[in-house]
Amino acid sequence: MKYSYINPQKKTLFTPELKILLTFFSITIFMLVSTYSFLLFKDYNFTQTKIDIEQKYSELNITLSQMDEQIEHIDAQYLLSQKVYTQNSVLKESIANLFDLVPERITLSEAKLLKNGLVLYGITPNKDIYNFMLQAPLRSIFHRTYSSFYPLENGWFSFVSTNYIDEESNDEY
Amino acid sequence: MNISRQHIYMLSLSVLLLTFVLIFSFAVLIPNGKEYRLKRADLKKEYRKLKQLSDFSYETSTILQKLQAQHRHIITAFDTPFVVSRFEKQHRSFFSSLKLSKLEKKENEDAFNVYEVNTTSEINSPKSFYKFLDAVNKSDWIVAINFPITFKRDSEMINSSFTMKVYGNNKDVKSLSESKQSHSELDSESKFK
Repeated sequence: MKYSYINPQKKTLFTPELKILLTFFSITIFMLVSTYSFLLFKDYNFTQTKIDIEQKYSELNITLSQMDEQIEHIDAQYLLSQKVYTQNSVLKESIANLFDLVPERITLSEAKLLKNGLVLYGITPNKDIYNFMLQAPLRSIFHRTYSSFYPLENGWFSFVSTNYIDEESNDEY
Repeated sequence: MNISRQHIYMLSLSVLLLTFVLIFSFAVLIPNGKEYRLKRADLKKEYRKLKQLSDFSYETSTILQKLQAQHRHIITAFDTPFVVSRFEKQHRSFFSSLKLSKLEKKENEDAFNVYEVNTTSEINSPKSFYKFLDAVNKSDWIVAINFPITFKRDSEMINSSFTMKVYGNNKDVKSLSESKQSHSELDSESKFK
């Protein structure tokens, strides 16, 4: 016996309203979880990148300090070499000047170039030639000049000339 | 108003899910998002610093390479261990005879090793000595001619004696000492010209 004109329909738990609701929340929760996962991944990625950057930074710092040391060392080498080269050139000029200073009539037998002085041994025909032609220019260069003569058998004089420059003006020599 | 039980369940579920979404968003996502923004800005700063340092390192490296190229001779000269026989061979042409004594290690000067060599030689004219001084400045080592220098006439020749300071890098201590040992026996006199 039939009590209704319509056919009975099966009742389901997932009604269309519930389906819409679940779809909406599923999408929302999926988006939230995706964003959270993205943030977690980025956080990990940033931490790793920061470690890499710090490592590169310290490596670069080490390389830089090594290069600075090398530059400093090369500069020191250059300065020292220039000092040595200049010293050798000045020495050459000093020796050339010394030999130019000695007149032809005076013969040198020995010359000692010291750090702050000059000692000359030689022979001169007479004291005047020595005094005017050698001692005078030596006096203009050195602060202290001492001379001693020894007569020779042929009438000439053997001389020893000792000349010093005071410490503060050593560079002039 | 008649609300079905099913609608009440649905409403409860909606409220529950909405509460979860709100709590998750405000308690977890928003603080994490803020932290992400801060970290990103921090990382950018770090990158900028690294780039600056990297640029500076590149500039320093260029300067170093330039210096090395400019002063190649000087750098090599400091690195070359002093060999007595080689020095004699290179410079004996300026003298009638040239004799170098043992290498003596002196106190370090300006962080460099200093070795001293006593030299005796014979020249026939001071000009040879001037040429020698010019040649020393172009030699394979950094050599300073040192006082006292003595010139003594011996008939037509001039005997000269002087000391030389040879400069080397600190790292060459070993090699220079070895060279000192191996060449201490090599002192020889040679007459040319």
